[in-house]
Amino acid sequence: MDYTIKIKKAKKSLFRDEWVWKMAWRDARNNFGRLFLFISSVIIGIAALVSINSFNINLQTSIDDQAKDLLGADLVVNANKPFEEDLWAKFDSTKLEGSLELNMASMVVFMTSTPGTRLVRIVAFDGDFPFYGNLETLPQNAPKLMRSGTFAMLDENLASQYDVSSDDSLKIGGITFKIAGTVSQIPGGGGLQSTFTPSVYISLDDLDSTGLVQYGSRVNYKKYFKTNSQQETDELLEELKPLIRQYGHSYETVEGRKNNLGDGFENLYRFFNLLAFVALILGCIGVASSVHIYVKEKKSTVAVLRCIGASGWQAFNIFFVQTTIIGLIGSILGVGLGLLIQYVLPILLQEFIPLDLELSIAWAAVFEGILLGLIIAILFSVLPLIAVRYVPPLTVLRTNYEELKSYSKTRMLVVVLIILFPLAFAAYQSKSLAIGFFFFLSLVAAFGCLALVAWGLMTLVKKNFPSRWSFVWRQSLANLFRPNNQTLVLVVVIGLGAFLISTLNIVQNSLLNQVEFIGKENQSNTVLFDIQPSQKAGVVQLTKDNDLPIQQLVPIITCRLANVKGKSVADIQKDTSDAIPNWAITREYRVTYRDTLTASEELINGELQHISNDTIYVTISEGMQENLEVGVGDRLVFDVQGVSIVAYIGGVREVDWPTDPPNFIFVFPTGVLEEAPQIYVLTTRIDAQSKANTYQRELVTSFPNVSLIDLRLILSTIDEFFDKVSFVIQFMALFSIITGLVVLTGAVINSKFIRFRENVLLRTIGALKKQIQRMTILEYAYLGFFAGLTGIGLSLLSGWALAIWFFEIIFFPDVLSLGIIWVSIVLLTMLIGWLNTRDVVNSSPLEVLRKET
Amino acid sequence: MPNILSVENLTKSFKTGDRALTVLDSVSFDVEEGSSMSIVGPSGSGKTTLLGLCAGLDVSTSGAVTLVGIKLNALDEDDRAYVRNQNVGFIFQNFQLLPTLTALENVTVPLELRGETGYTQKGKTLLDRVGLGDRMGHYPTQLSGGEQQRVAMARAFISSPKILFADEPTGNLDEETAEMVTDLLFNINKEENTTLILVTHNMELAENTERILQLKGGKLVVDRKSRIAS
Repeated sequence: MDYTIKIKKAKKSLFRDEWVWKMAWRDARNNFGRLFLFISSVIIGIAALVSINSFNINLQTSIDDQAKDLLGADLVVNANKPFEEDLWAKFDSTKLEGSLELNMASMVVFMTSTPGTRLVRIVAFDGDFPFYGNLETLPQNAPKLMRSGTFAMLDENLASQYDVSSDDSLKIGGITFKIAGTVSQIPGGGGLQSTFTPSVYISLDDLDSTGLVQYGSRVNYKKYFKTNSQQETDELLEELKPLIRQYGHSYETVEGRKNNLGDGFENLYRFFNLLAFVALILGCIGVASSVHIYVKEKKSTVAVLRCIGASGWQAFNIFFVQTTIIGLIGSILGVGLGLLIQYVLPILLQEFIPLDLELSIAWAAVFEGILLGLIIAILFSVLPLIAVRYVPPLTVLRTNYEELKSYSKTRMLVVVLIILFPLAFAAYQSKSLAIGFFFFLSLVAAFGCLALVAWGLMTLVKKNFPSRWSFVWRQSLANLFRPNNQTLVLVVVIGLGAFLISTLNIVQNSLLNQVEFIGKENQSNTVLFDIQPSQKAGVVQLTKDNDLPIQQLVPIITCRLANVKGKSVADIQKDTSDAIPNWAITREYRVTYRDTLTASEELINGELQHISNDTIYVTISEGMQENLEVGVGDRLVFDVQGVSIVAYIGGVREVDWPTDPPNFIFVFPTGVLEEAPQIYVLTTRIDAQSKANTYQRELVTSFPNVSLIDLRLILSTIDEFFDKVSFVIQFMALFSIITGLVVLTGAVINSKFIRFRENVLLRTIGALKKQIQRMTILEYAYLGFFAGLTGIGLSLLSGWALAIWFFEIIFFPDVLSLGIIWVSIVLLTMLIGWLNTRDVVNSSPLEVLRKET
Repeated sequence: MPNILSVENLTKSFKTGDRALTVLDSVSFDVEEGSSMSIVGPSGSGKTTLLGLCAGLDVSTSGAVTLVGIKLNALDEDDRAYVRNQNVGFIFQNFQLLPTLTALENVTVPLELRGETGYTQKGKTLLDRVGLGDRMGHYPTQLSGGEQQRVAMARAFISSPKILFADEPTGNLDEETAEMVTDLLFNINKEENTTLILVTHNMELAENTERILQLKGGKLVVDRKSRIAS
């Protein structure tokens, strides 16, 4: 009689299957080392993400909290000319508490133990500004002293630069001021502002007596208001807006300051987001790669479990539980590390941020980090883990038995989710589907190109196989296309790592290049401005007496637009369908006159400025032509100090603004503006510091209102700033690079399992250890070479696209550092390849062969 | 006695490139419950393939295997795994212990998988029985080949299988250890009244079973009683 047994096995859910959890623990307790690659990928990826997101959240919160303190008032009206009478009348009618500030650039003579002259920002104000935020000074009564007259306060870094003490004094224009104290914090100042344009603060009552405000002086006017409520601010603004707009002034509210600050950090956010994306994607590859290795190692264990009755899902669940729990631990550790780094970032960035960063644990970033870590750990480990379900039990009898099934619905679903993940994450992180799509397409294109290169390499080597080469060279080349080769996998993974790391490098260089002062290439390094016509000859003589070349002596006339293409400025303002921005029609234009182009200009349309049949033809710069929506032949009316001058656009110039300043939006022909009130700008080059000191001192003594810009000083300040920014960027990029290295190591270790048996067999039949090592190292050298080259080639494309479209900056790759990345990848691949051979050369062939029986 | 295993016209082919390679060709036989049988033959004769098919580790190209009354061909891999867990024990030439589990844990795994309780005591008793009472907490890498095979034997018997498949159980052992393991295998098998299917090259070992099947080129060429049985 035959037995009749019904299959009545009860299906257990993962959470109720104790055996699975027990086995997961038993298996993991001796395997933590093996799971190191896995957990490190998660930790680094999540740490980068959390530190960046948490920092962003804290920065945004600080901006929100401190915007009022940063503005110092509820409303500020800004102008670059004195406020008009009717506007003053409005200001006065408000009866609100207010303060007036005038600021301008001027030379200051330091009469201190370290005497010197320097261009600074003179800030003169009255009233009780700031109304909000801190005015931190040393001593505390310095503002009171300053308001009492002929006392000045100065930024603390400026004070330390010239060793200023309380007994010292400084000369501004024609007046000597005693030092009231130093300013460490003031709304609207500090941070970068004080690095680039250090300020000296005086009472508004003292400004006139300095004689600095003359014709042509660029003075900024600020009227600060303190209101009692947001409603009052809104009402005040509604009342002032028409006149502000009419006169081309501007205003700033607390909300506006918040937005401006947010916009100011846009590139920083974007770069950090890119870093987070790269680190996370590399982390994903790291997870998939390490689990793939892990699963390979576990194949025999799974076969035994299947043999003694474990179902495919049970076997899968054992490792699923392991990777999920370890992924969770990795996420938590990553979040912890990320939060720690978050506390380091402000130390690095504090100088560049004009506010006190208040750090707290950004719980949103914490939960997001844990959740994303878990998703990555699960999603990217599931694909290699699915193979566990299909390990045939027959593997216990024959090691090379094929997988039961290569296609499954689960596998397809996971593949689809894996494809969607980078797209969804990039879109979420950048808050833009278009940007997310761009990142995603870059990744897909990179995968495709790398796969193509791998396939091409295999085909090329196979077709042109050098059969006369030595055994080692032939064998290493043959490894590239033989069955079970790792060419495709390694080229794709190493290449992708190289692609991401070098893309980051290119973006970093382009960003850093953006802040480099292009004036470096400019021959002039000293610019004198605000030279009155009566001072022109004297300044020229002084320059010649100091044996300095006069490279440019340019007249500057200030004027405004009165009419554009037959429409008055007022009509353009009223016409809501007109797209010409208000600032473009109301601003003050500084124009010059000459009949030639300078080295920084190129005529791209029409003719050079000229007079033809008593008609004046001016040239306009390319960008402003678009803003004013004018073209060659269009009519303009200029208001030059009350005199109307009709002119036509004769041509359009492309201007390379930073090169050879000063450059101009409008250039008139000679013979028109010679009699108009004007000032002059003179440029020269000074090489020796001693000569610069003498020249500056003599200039300030003889012509106190003339200001001098020492480009070398600016360059050294920018260099310093550049070094700090560069350090921050490199520090953050380090995450992605470390994750990339983890991935690379994982990929190469993975290939070890494929080559191990073959190399042992070669040893068995007499290959020397050296030959095995050379063969392996050569194989990895080819792979590293081609993968690195392709990855870097692709990164040039993606880096260019990112620079142009995403960051909107100039594409500036650094060939040397890309070369270093390439060589490093080849060497690293070779090193890991060599390390992989150590097991082979140190294992007894018999031991391995026995295992394989 | 009823048949615990029935094999009818069993054929297994593999594809190698464009050609199909037949490893087993229309093999048929029955095995009575409680009996012992050896499958012998030269390398490549199909012994291991036949064992794999009989134990439900693989599926045939054609023909049928009925194990403990269940037609294995009709089942999917997970159902066959269930059948194995409930009815089958294995001993392999390479021992196939789980490297991350201790000796005791290796032995108790099949019972844990069944969801039974009291497996620890049963495992300890069996390890004592195979002479490894003092090695229960050791990992496989800390045990000798003979010790590993004895652990594997304890694992095979812990679930009181109805049928035990042993693939070259002494193939990786020295002569003395092999003899000890063989004695232990046959003694426990007798005590537990388990059906034994043994795959081996070793004719001397095969003669210890009641019946011998000889394969050659995938075909069953000899089906005879052993010297012991006759």
